[in-house]
Amino acid sequence: MFKKDRISAIRPELEALVGAENVRTDEGEILMYSYDAGMARARPEVVINFTATGQVAPVVKILFRAGIPFLPRLAGTNLSGGTIPLKGGAILNLSRLKKIRQIDTAAGLALVEPGVVNLELQKALEPFGYFYAPDPASQKVSTIGGNIGENAGGPLCLKYGVTADNVEKLEVVTPEGEVRTLSYRDQGPDLMSVMIGSEGTLGIVTHAWLKILPLPAHIKTASAAFPSLDSAMRAVTRIISAGILPRALEAMDKVSMDAALSGKANPFPAGTEAVLIIELDGADAVRVKTELETVHKICSDNGCEAFKVAGDEGERALLWQARKGAYPAMARLAPDVLVEDGVVPRPRLPEALRETREIISKYKLTAGLLFHAGDGNLHPNVIFDRRDIEEVKRVKKAGYEMLKSCIRLGGTISGEHGIGVEKRVAMNWLYGKGELAFFHSMKRAFDPAGLANPDKILPVASDRSPSKPDLAGAFVFPGKSGLSPEARGVIDEIRLRAASGTRTAVTGLGTRLKPARIMEGAKPLDLAQLAGRAEIDRENLTARAEAGLSLEEFRRQLGEAGFSLDLPELKGSVGGLIASKVCPGIRGLLLGLEVATASGELLELGGKTVKNVAGYDAVRLFCGSLGAYGVIISATFALSAGKDRERAPFAEPAGWDDFEPGDIHRRLKKEFDPQNLLNPWVYRNI
Amino acid sequence: MSDNNQFEPGEQPKASWEPEHEGAAGGAHFRSEVNELYGHEQAGRHLTALLTDLGERNLYDAAAQCNRCGYCETSCPTYMLTGRETISARGRNQFVRMLVEGRTKSPDAAAESFSTCLLCGACSSACYAKVPTPDIVLEGRRSLTGYGDNFFARAAVNTLLNAPRLFAFWLKLAYLAKLTGLPRLAAKMGLYDFIGMPGLAEAEGAVNKVPLRFASELLRRDPELGTEGKKQLGWAYFAACGPNFLFTEVAQATVRILKKTSGPGIFVDNQCCGLMAHNYGRLDDAREFARRNILRYEELKAEHGDFPVIADCASCTAFMKGYEQLFTGDADWRPRAKAFAAAVKDILEFIPAEKAGRADPAALAAAGTVTYHDSCRACHGQGIRQEPRAVLHKLAGKNFRELPESDWCCGGAGAFAFTQPELSNKVLDRKLRNIASVQAGTVVVGATSCLAQINAGLRAAYPSARAVHYSVFIDEVAEKT
Repeated sequence: MFKKDRISAIRPELEALVGAENVRTDEGEILMYSYDAGMARARPEVVINFTATGQVAPVVKILFRAGIPFLPRLAGTNLSGGTIPLKGGAILNLSRLKKIRQIDTAAGLALVEPGVVNLELQKALEPFGYFYAPDPASQKVSTIGGNIGENAGGPLCLKYGVTADNVEKLEVVTPEGEVRTLSYRDQGPDLMSVMIGSEGTLGIVTHAWLKILPLPAHIKTASAAFPSLDSAMRAVTRIISAGILPRALEAMDKVSMDAALSGKANPFPAGTEAVLIIELDGADAVRVKTELETVHKICSDNGCEAFKVAGDEGERALLWQARKGAYPAMARLAPDVLVEDGVVPRPRLPEALRETREIISKYKLTAGLLFHAGDGNLHPNVIFDRRDIEEVKRVKKAGYEMLKSCIRLGGTISGEHGIGVEKRVAMNWLYGKGELAFFHSMKRAFDPAGLANPDKILPVASDRSPSKPDLAGAFVFPGKSGLSPEARGVIDEIRLRAASGTRTAVTGLGTRLKPARIMEGAKPLDLAQLAGRAEIDRENLTARAEAGLSLEEFRRQLGEAGFSLDLPELKGSVGGLIASKVCPGIRGLLLGLEVATASGELLELGGKTVKNVAGYDAVRLFCGSLGAYGVIISATFALSAGKDRERAPFAEPAGWDDFEPGDIHRRLKKEFDPQNLLNPWVYRNI
Repeated sequence: MSDNNQFEPGEQPKASWEPEHEGAAGGAHFRSEVNELYGHEQAGRHLTALLTDLGERNLYDAAAQCNRCGYCETSCPTYMLTGRETISARGRNQFVRMLVEGRTKSPDAAAESFSTCLLCGACSSACYAKVPTPDIVLEGRRSLTGYGDNFFARAAVNTLLNAPRLFAFWLKLAYLAKLTGLPRLAAKMGLYDFIGMPGLAEAEGAVNKVPLRFASELLRRDPELGTEGKKQLGWAYFAACGPNFLFTEVAQATVRILKKTSGPGIFVDNQCCGLMAHNYGRLDDAREFARRNILRYEELKAEHGDFPVIADCASCTAFMKGYEQLFTGDADWRPRAKAFAAAVKDILEFIPAEKAGRADPAALAAAGTVTYHDSCRACHGQGIRQEPRAVLHKLAGKNFRELPESDWCCGGAGAFAFTQPELSNKVLDRKLRNIASVQAGTVVVGATSCLAQINAGLRAAYPSARAVHYSVFIDEVAEKT
């Protein structure tokens, strides 16, 4: 596998582009790029250091022509082996591309290169009174490029969303070496969102336009000490369902706390088993104060023994140091740490914690529990020494069991750390064959040669795993088994049409239907019948609506139940709004989709959790897909607690369907619908 | 749950979690007691164990404690400048680990990684486990072929060790050569690099005047510093090589402020602390220096009881505070080294703010804006940050301004500026930019290596400012009585 001659042939070309000293094949350099913060190891054949963003595309072109795999790398802090060159090839070291090119407070955007360290950006924004919301615990060292690659979260994403929600536009070098600028606002399927969290398997980001927000006028941070994790979790669920959306809602157990506070005075009372860090923000001081009082009361009602509001910036910094230091502090306890990253629907957190603890004690391991409680994202930090082979085996088994437990509870296997190579096998447990095949086809469309960070995210043949977890009696996502008779009917109809090669015009309520555009010979498929009652998960703050349900009716049903949807006034069906993307902001609320492919296979994409980086973001790919990639059957949305507010009417952009497909769009279409059966006029001649 | 237990080794991707291969030194015997990078016959050239924040560890365990979280990377000056893992803190640690594990055949592949380390220790400060990367890198360096066997290094260390007067004579000869316009000759004689005075050989302008009378010679003649008739000692001054051989005004200033603030004291009349030999890979020589200093200390202690040993170069004090690590395999010397180390104090931490006195307004005005550069071996090596700031605040008041990135290394780092001139200059540039950003007139430092390096940089790029040693600053601005 290790073919040195592959490089020497292209070496002169590479050197001409980046300089001889930046093309490195010496043993020392190769070794140093064979690891990252995860456990996997593999050696590259060459390390290429870049000094200008403009060098990336031509270098990728050379590698593409030579058929040499490559992957971008920055700080190398990722926790799932994402930067390990499994097939050798080239490491594209972008660490020196760290210029902040522009900070535009009027537009609310910052233009940065991929190597900018997250915290450096925050420091640069602060004098202007702005901040960039994603704040992973590693922000002191992790970079924007890496954050985009992994779709990083952080405490603040509870309120402000993950990286994908905070990127406006990306400049990307495709795996063939072409430069593209992608935005979620572009007409047609949202390719930008697919790039985010793709771990360098679909392309390389060379510039990012990030959304920046004004620093909130008032921030209150409090810590609450609980005698048990369970009571802390009860408080979390109560806080969220009380309609309070904290800026951050973090939890850590005693092990994590002790490690992070080592050498410092422990400010919590004896017998504290769990600590919540709750941070509220807002423009209105009175409102923040009332919310804080409510939070205090909820905590006390649930057994909180000490509730302390940080008096000054120093006390606040100390709390955050403890939280953000909890993972690196594990290094004091043992030489290696496995950080799991499962997510469950928030109300299932107590169960997930119980199971996690059982698994830890079953395998006789030590772990600090640390989690973004508000998002249902758990980080058990299991400590071990990789030189102890027996212990490593137990850790691996425990890690996989934890993931299976999250899947059983209706969650997912990664919230923000990515799949990389280490959780690849678990993708088999989370997804069915159809979904995995769908992801594979996405990968092929972006990277036909399969050179961009190969063998990551998606299971390869050797990951064969016949044993899906036993889901009997467990929570089941209302997917296949929960389909309404109408939905089954629609899927059967699509299958029949696929078998006979009949072309279909997907129609919903007809709100935006332009009959003139429908190509002759396409048979309408009426989805208006898919309008069953929305299924509201009160505790998890999510609701599933069928595609034909009108947004007004959906809203009405939510309103009756005391919930609202944070979208402007829009006309049309749920499915139509997603497929037309007249309001690009809809992507922010969309957690999951059930989609029928052109051949009539039902896919469950996404889920019920706010965070999910397992696989590509296929959900957002369907935003703006104009019914040509698949038929949306139902969608799951994130809700807000409380009554709907008055909203100004939304001005729909006139040219919303003015879409001219690009090459990647066309390749995706070819993968999903090779016979061009669905809305065939969108891709006229594929 | 039963089906969850059906994990087979083949189920996991091959590349992930790959076990240590059979031939790996660490793979075979787990947690062994010896330093596995070397055969036992070389034990004299290596440390038996490292004294880490988490307890006594052998080299392998100390390096393996790094879990690769990478939180140190942004504190590593060489990584920040190059973006290369190979010359980053985490990379260097991993390199040593890989050498021990036999993942690379030739230690020389690591030469660049190890030799570019400033040994500043910023990584250990950032590290939650306080992995002692500088010590680990030094052990790595000692494994490189020929390291420490260089003729000049050997000759100089030997002379300094066995014939200090001859060394002094030799050095003066070199200085005379410089004064008489034969500076290149001095550089060619390889005299400067082994003293750890970077600017000297690289840039002739680094130090503009050289002393022909060394501090030890002056102090030996000072009647107030004699040992006769003194019972209780307030302090004993240890002349480190920098102040002794090059910056004699620093040694004199330190002694003056000690006399003023801390009662009667003496001059130890010491040997070199051994840091130079240590960093050159000549560990046995370093141990010999240490033993002689410890003996001298014990001699004085027998006569005078407990007293603090004060030195005024942070690199040397940090090293002496770590003497115990040199003798972990030596049951006799270890406790003695520990006792000596406990007595060592840096001048930076020794003078309490309330004894600092008042500043003379005219002298203060001449100093302009005062700022403080954290010498690496003071802040990272000894954890000294607050004490000197408290004194400077008291003396300079509003004229004191905090230096951005004050603990960013200046690039002096002993002989680093000489061995890695390009990298060193980049490290220095960032320091100079920060100094300029606060419009400083005076940069107070705590180590002589920083003094030479920063002054050389300032003269070229920002001549209205100058670097002065902490003692000299206190001595200069003190109210004249």
